[in-house]
Amino acid sequence: MTRLQALAAGTILAGSALAGGTASAATICFAFQDLETEFWVAGHGAITKTLTDAGHTVIERNANEDANRQLEQVRDCIAQGVDGIILIPQDGESATTIVQEAQDADTPIAVFNRPPSDLSKGIVVVADNATIAGQAVDSIVEKALAAKPEGKLNAIIVVGDLGDPNAVGRKDGFYASIEKHKDRFNVIEVASQWDAATALANLESAVTANREVDLLFTSSDFLFPTIRSVFEPRGLWKKAGEDGHVWMAGLDGDATACQLIKDGYVDATGVQDLYFEAEQSLAAILAAIEAGEAQPNQVIEDPGFALTTDNIGEREMDMWGCVLLSQGFLKNKS
Amino acid sequence: MKDLSPAGITPRPDIRAPAPRPVSDLGARFRRVLLSDYFVLYLSIAYFLVLVPFLPTLSTPANLTNLMSNMWPLLVVAVGQTFVLTIAGIDLSQGAVMGLTSVVAATLIATAAPAQVLANAPIWGSLLTAEGGWLAASAWATPLAIAAMLAVAALIGLFNGLSVARLAMPPFMVTLVTMIAVGAFAIWLTQSNNIRELPESFVALGKGDIVSVYFGPKLESQLPRREVYSFVTWPMVIALGLAVFAHLLLNRTVFGRYVFAIGINRKAAEISGVPVARVIVAVFVISAVCAAIASILYTARLETGRPTLGAGNFLLDVIGATVIGGTSLFGGKGKILWTFFGVLFFVLLSNTLNLMNLSAFHIDMVKGGVILAAALLDVTRTRLTRATT
Repeated sequence: MTRLQALAAGTILAGSALAGGTASAATICFAFQDLETEFWVAGHGAITKTLTDAGHTVIERNANEDANRQLEQVRDCIAQGVDGIILIPQDGESATTIVQEAQDADTPIAVFNRPPSDLSKGIVVVADNATIAGQAVDSIVEKALAAKPEGKLNAIIVVGDLGDPNAVGRKDGFYASIEKHKDRFNVIEVASQWDAATALANLESAVTANREVDLLFTSSDFLFPTIRSVFEPRGLWKKAGEDGHVWMAGLDGDATACQLIKDGYVDATGVQDLYFEAEQSLAAILAAIEAGEAQPNQVIEDPGFALTTDNIGEREMDMWGCVLLSQGFLKNKS
Repeated sequence: MKDLSPAGITPRPDIRAPAPRPVSDLGARFRRVLLSDYFVLYLSIAYFLVLVPFLPTLSTPANLTNLMSNMWPLLVVAVGQTFVLTIAGIDLSQGAVMGLTSVVAATLIATAAPAQVLANAPIWGSLLTAEGGWLAASAWATPLAIAAMLAVAALIGLFNGLSVARLAMPPFMVTLVTMIAVGAFAIWLTQSNNIRELPESFVALGKGDIVSVYFGPKLESQLPRREVYSFVTWPMVIALGLAVFAHLLLNRTVFGRYVFAIGINRKAAEISGVPVARVIVAVFVISAVCAAIASILYTARLETGRPTLGAGNFLLDVIGATVIGGTSLFGGKGKILWTFFGVLFFVLLSNTLNLMNLSAFHIDMVKGGVILAAALLDVTRTRLTRATT
C-alpha cells in the first residue's frame, strides 16, 4: 500500500459517506499554493483521493507559492465551469481576494486550513490555532518550571509567516501560556517566514546570543529537523531526563514530531485534525453544490488537541502524523 | 539582370557570378513568414486553432476574458524590458521594483492595518497605523500613491542606468544586485507581511470594468454574474495606452533611433554623436517605471500590497514573452508590436497548459523549453536576415 493510499484510507469512510449524499458527480477545482510540508502533502492526498474515489472529477492547480498565479488559476477553473473550488491559499490576504472572485462568479468555494483575513466569506475550515498552541505550550511550561523552580528561563518561539493567520494564532497561543508566568520567562522570537533556511539562520543567531535555552516552541513541526541541526552541535539536543534537555513543543502533528516525541526529544505537539478538516471541507462544498448554493459562508473550526509524552499512549492514533508513521512514512522517506 | 559593378570598372563577360542556389517556392514562403513582423501572431493563431477542438473551453468568452486579463499587466512589464533588451542590456530588477512599489502604495493609502500582523514592521507607527496610511483620508490618495510609486521606480531605474552608463558596469550584475537589495528592502519594510484594505479607487485600476458584455437572451430580470464578461477594462486601457506610447517612442522618434543604434554597436553610436549615457539611463528609468505601472495593476487585482510581488518565476515570464516576440537578446532589434504578440503567445501557452491540467512543474518545464526555442529562433532569424541582405 503506498503512502498516499494509506493516508486516503483514513478519510475514505467519511468521504464516501458524504459523497453518498450527493446525487451527481461534480467537478471540483483544487487550487493549492504548494506542497512544501508533510501537512500539505497529507491534506492534498486526503482531499484528492477521497474526491476521485467518490466519482468526482478533480482539477488540480499548483500555484508554486505565487498568489497572482493562484488567482489566475482559479479564474481558469471558473472559466472551465467547475462546480466548486477547494483552496489552500498562499496567505490570508490573497485568500480573501480569491474567495471574492469565486463568489462574484457564483462558484462555491471552501478554504482549507489557511483562513482568509476576512472570515465572513466562503466556507472556511480552520484549526483553533491559539487554543491548540496554548495546550501544547502549557504542558511544556509546567514541566520546565518544575525542572527549574527558581530563576529566569529562556524561551524561544519560532514564529511563522505572520501574513498567515495560522502563524498569528499560534504565536498568540504561545504568549497566552507564557503570560501566566511572565516573571519567569525571557522570550526570544525567531522569525522563520515558514522557510527552513530563514529559520536556520535566525535560530543560529538566537542560540549564539543566548547560550542557555530552557524551552522552545516552533510554530510548525516541519522545522524540527532545522532545530535539531542547530541544537545538536551546541549540546542542546537531549532527550527528556538527560541533563540539558530543552523542553520542546510544536504544532501540526506530523510524522517527524510523532517520532521525536516517542524518542523523547520533543515533549508535545499541537495536533490539527487533518482528517476532520479534509472531511469537513469536502462535506461542506459538496453540500453547497448539491443545494445549488453559490455563495456558502460558514466557518468550521477544528478544535484539535495536544499530544504530549503523557497522553501519547491513549491518543497516538488520533494524530495523523502518528498514523503515517505507523504505516512506515519516515522509512519510505529515507 | 541589373549591372551591380562599381563605377569605372568594366565587367568581363568571360567571368560570371555564381548562379544563385535555387530556392523552392515553399522555402521562400517559409523564410518570409519566419522573418515577418507577424510571425508570432501567426503562430499564436495556429496554436489556438489547433488546440480548440481538443480544449473546447479555450474559445469560451470566459476563458478569452481571462486571457486578456492576464495579458495586460505582463505586457506593461515586457514593454519596459523591450527597451532594455534593445540596447543589448537586461533588467533583472523589474520584479523587485514591483514588490517595493506595491508596498509603498499600500503603506500610503491603506485605510486600515492590523497591529497584530504589522506591529513589528519598521513602517508601523510612523508611516502606517491601525487607522491606515498617511494618505488614507485624502481624496487624492490614489493619484498621489501612483506618483510615489513612479518616483520610487524612477530612482531605482536612475541608479541602474547610471551604474551601467557612467560606471560601465554590466547590466546583468547591476540589476541582479538591485533585484536582491530592493527585494530585501521591500520585505524588511513589512517584515514579509502583506498590506490589505486598499481604497476602491485604487482597486478599480486592476479589476474595474469599463465595458462588460453578455451573450444570450435576457430571460430573467437579473443576468447571471458568471455569464457577464469583462471586455474593456482599466488594465486594458492602461496597458494598450502605454504600449502605443512606447511604440511611438521606439519607432517614431530620434530617441528610438538612438536606442537601436546603441544596441547595434555602442562604440559606433558614441562616435556618431549619440548621447549614449543619457539614453541608457533613460532606458533603465523607462523599464523601472513600466514595472511600477505593472505593480499598480497587480497590486490592485490582488487588492494587497505585497513585498514579494514579482518574485519567483515572474522574470521568466517577462523575459520569455519579450524574447518569444522577437526582441533580440543581442540588442539592436526589438518592436513593441513583437512584444505584444510575444505576451499574447506566452499567456496563451500558460492558459492552454493549465487547461490541459498539467502540473505547475510541467508547465514551467514547457515554458522554459519554449523560451529556449525562441532564443534559437532569434539566432536563425538573424542569420536569415543577414543572408537575404
